[in-house]
Amino acid sequence: MGARDDEADVERVLAGELGAFEHIVRRWQGPLVNLAFRFCHDRSRAEDMAQEAFLRAWRALSQWRKDAAFSTWLFALATNLYRSELRRIPANTVALEDIAEPRASATRSLEEQDRDRALKRAILGLPPKYRDALIVFYFHSQDIPSAARSLGVPEGTLKARLSRGRDILRNKLQTLLAKPGAKEAP
Amino acid sequence: MNQEDLDRMFSRQENIVPSSGFVGGVMNAIECEASTPPPIPFPWKRALPGFVAWLIALVSFVYLAFAHFDASSTRLALARTAPMLAAIIDGLKAVDGAWIAVALLVSAASVFFSMRMVGARL
Repeated sequence: MGARDDEADVERVLAGELGAFEHIVRRWQGPLVNLAFRFCHDRSRAEDMAQEAFLRAWRALSQWRKDAAFSTWLFALATNLYRSELRRIPANTVALEDIAEPRASATRSLEEQDRDRALKRAILGLPPKYRDALIVFYFHSQDIPSAARSLGVPEGTLKARLSRGRDILRNKLQTLLAKPGAKEAP
Repeated sequence: MNQEDLDRMFSRQENIVPSSGFVGGVMNAIECEASTPPPIPFPWKRALPGFVAWLIALVSFVYLAFAHFDASSTRLALARTAPMLAAIIDGLKAVDGAWIAVALLVSAASVFFSMRMVGARL
């Protein structure tokens, strides 16, 4: 149903009905903003990046060839943009103590929150190709084909990057969580 | 720490809800862009003959300068009218300047075409 809605809306936009693009934005704003947030851990920047992704999608709408789902095309476009943005202005220029928890939950234990903070720090410190692979893979609920399509790499390459990325991440996390000061700001 | 621990930590990452004005902001940006006239493209077709003529003139000049510069009358005439140019050509000849000029032209052409290709994809 979603895929058919997307296709119908795209056709309406291409026919000149600009308002139909709003349906696409409403349908995909959550995933695109959240994907951006995983990359930059900054809410305001995530919205800016997602807005730019929608703008580019609108400009390039006629280039969607319908050989893949609209969402696949949109995620690939957005992922590409987010990676370029992070190359331009790295996420770790934002102080980690300024990274706000999206929803402070009283039910989550302090230990879990510390682990999550350490995870964010460790992800931001990864080499970009491993960082991107892990972010996109977990964003796509651990679906290798979807993540590979979004990143534009073969599935084998993605698996290799995930494996190497996990190894590096594991080592970083063990170090970060072992440090007494790891729970504080870096 | 094994893979399951990592999977669990990743799956705990919380989602954010886009702000209420997000859709409006995107649509405003799109409407704004849609209402502005598209930029006037550079007239490549009209400019192409000029570029080709310029390139031919440049290549001819380099060729003629190097082929006939040894003729003493040419050398004298050039040394009188444009001594600096004569000195430059002398210097270029000493370091096989023709090949450097060809290499520079090829590099410039490849940079130009690759930038055009990248620009077309964006």
